[in-house]
Amino acid sequence: MSKVLSLNKSIYLIIALALLIFPFVSDSRTWTILLTQIFIFAILAMSYDLLLGYTGIVSFGHAMFFGIGAYTTGIMLDTFAPTLLYFVLSIAVGFILAAVVSFFVGILTLRLKSHYFAMLTLALSGLFLVAAEKWRSLTYGNDGFTFRAPEIFQDRLVFYLLSLGCLIAVFIFLKRFVSSPMGHVLISVRENENRTASLGFNTLHYKVIASVAAGVIASLAGSLYAVSLRFVNTSVMTMDITLDALLMTIIGGVGTLVGPILGAGVIELAQHYLSGLARDYPIFERWIILFGILYIIAVIFFPRGIVGGIQRVFAKLSGKKVKAARPIKKSVVKS
Amino acid sequence: MELLINLFVNGLSTGMLIFLLAAGLTLIFGLMSVLNFAHGGLFVWGAFSAVWVYATTGSFMLSILGAVVTGVVLGFVTEKIIITPVYGNHVQQILITLGFMLVLTEMIKVVFGPNQLAAKVPPYLDGSWEVGDVILIKYRMFIILIGFAVFGVIQFILKRTKVGLIVRAGVLNKEMVQALGINIKQVFLFTFIAGAALASLGGALMAPYSGVVYAEMGLEFGILAFIVVVIGGMGSLPGSLLAAILVGLAGSFMAYYVPALSLAVNMILMALVLIFRPQGLFAAKG
Repeated sequence: MSKVLSLNKSIYLIIALALLIFPFVSDSRTWTILLTQIFIFAILAMSYDLLLGYTGIVSFGHAMFFGIGAYTTGIMLDTFAPTLLYFVLSIAVGFILAAVVSFFVGILTLRLKSHYFAMLTLALSGLFLVAAEKWRSLTYGNDGFTFRAPEIFQDRLVFYLLSLGCLIAVFIFLKRFVSSPMGHVLISVRENENRTASLGFNTLHYKVIASVAAGVIASLAGSLYAVSLRFVNTSVMTMDITLDALLMTIIGGVGTLVGPILGAGVIELAQHYLSGLARDYPIFERWIILFGILYIIAVIFFPRGIVGGIQRVFAKLSGKKVKAARPIKKSVVKS
Repeated sequence: MELLINLFVNGLSTGMLIFLLAAGLTLIFGLMSVLNFAHGGLFVWGAFSAVWVYATTGSFMLSILGAVVTGVVLGFVTEKIIITPVYGNHVQQILITLGFMLVLTEMIKVVFGPNQLAAKVPPYLDGSWEVGDVILIKYRMFIILIGFAVFGVIQFILKRTKVGLIVRAGVLNKEMVQALGINIKQVFLFTFIAGAALASLGGALMAPYSGVVYAEMGLEFGILAFIVVVIGGMGSLPGSLLAAILVGLAGSFMAYYVPALSLAVNMILMALVLIFRPQGLFAAKG
């Protein structure tokens, strides 16, 4: 087992190093920007997976935290000064705001059953979207506003490295988080909430912590996203962001941390190439259909996504059984 | 006074449209405990097919019929392909129906083109009546009429026929119904189809009301319908009717008096209901 682990670790290390060296070898601007985008969405998708894959709760309000991060950074850099100091400060402020909001949202919503929770988060993120549209003095509504990024990020390379660094840091943090005793409780909540509660764990407490952690990380992704575009508008609060995170997590592999990263890569790359193809074949403009169908197939037949599929193949090759972990909670109908 | 009446009629007619959507949703939830996030997709397909049929044939009745047929076909396909594999698993249901919603919305753009389409009110429902100082827009009265009629018909079927008896019993205890020798799967399928047809009907009636149809309206109205179902209590048909009227009226009065809050009022209503009375205002007794 330890051998497999070290194999995994060395693969991650090689990939991380390759990504680190990549911009020094290739000077393709498109690729640098595309990879930066992938890193940012990978962070978002990983934070989503902490809820969906590890704790087994479906939130439709994740865009709310992404939007909080994006708006905090955008507004602070715009009103004060576009310096590195304010960028770091804005991330910190975004963390605090996201933590407070996710704490209260969690306390209010997490005691509800899955459907109600999904819908209430949908409604609350809808409220945030409306607030962002209406509070024009602060957000400029749907038109959004542009702002200047800190001088140092004018160089795409620096920002690339920063995003990669954040991705790696979040990955390591989440890896530690889910393999801590705390993470094990979350996984047992996913598997059987009633049993976990009867073992004496206050499940609400743990679910709130998971939701705060996910919210804070999503806000980091939002901050980076805002700087990468140097522009914020209400689109950062829309359902589309949540849907992106959902698609990436499900297609990549729910209940793993590599899955969402892979999913982010696959979806961003495919989006890039398919919209390129759309110039010749208009049908590719509707690439969402392709992903929707892929996603439905994944939910029904491959609930463990790409990573789960790879794990299964490897397990077959080495003749071992895959760990019997189910990524998506199977609840029994009770009526 | 005229203002109040006009706002009331506006709110009531919007509420009725939402009710058509929510009725299917609440029955499907009550009976099958499936939360169908794709319901708004069926609604928007109804709207587009009605507009298309009306543009080609020029007959309003045919366009309604076309929408209902679309709803029945889509409902059948959805139940068989999307819902059947995930019975009893709420998280998967939410995920998969949401995915199907995406597909339905994008398919609209493939089939009918990405632009919004204009929808016309048929000539004999165009215009308005003047009663004293009050102006009643004919089409809105028509929608209100249809809404109450649909409610009456569903209530009649549920309360007075054998099919309704089975559905009501299924809501209370589906295992027992199955044990009594009734093919509950078939009942599920028919309920789902009926719900889909109602959603399409709602879409078809919505189209001339709003004047334009666009692919994203499915999600918008889908969310409204959820809000109504939550406020009314999942599985309760009269609850849905009352909640739909409440949401419609709240929307129309707020849009006039406190426009800044009009977009948020429904969300706030739902959040309050979920926090303080999660079973809904008029929960089905069981």
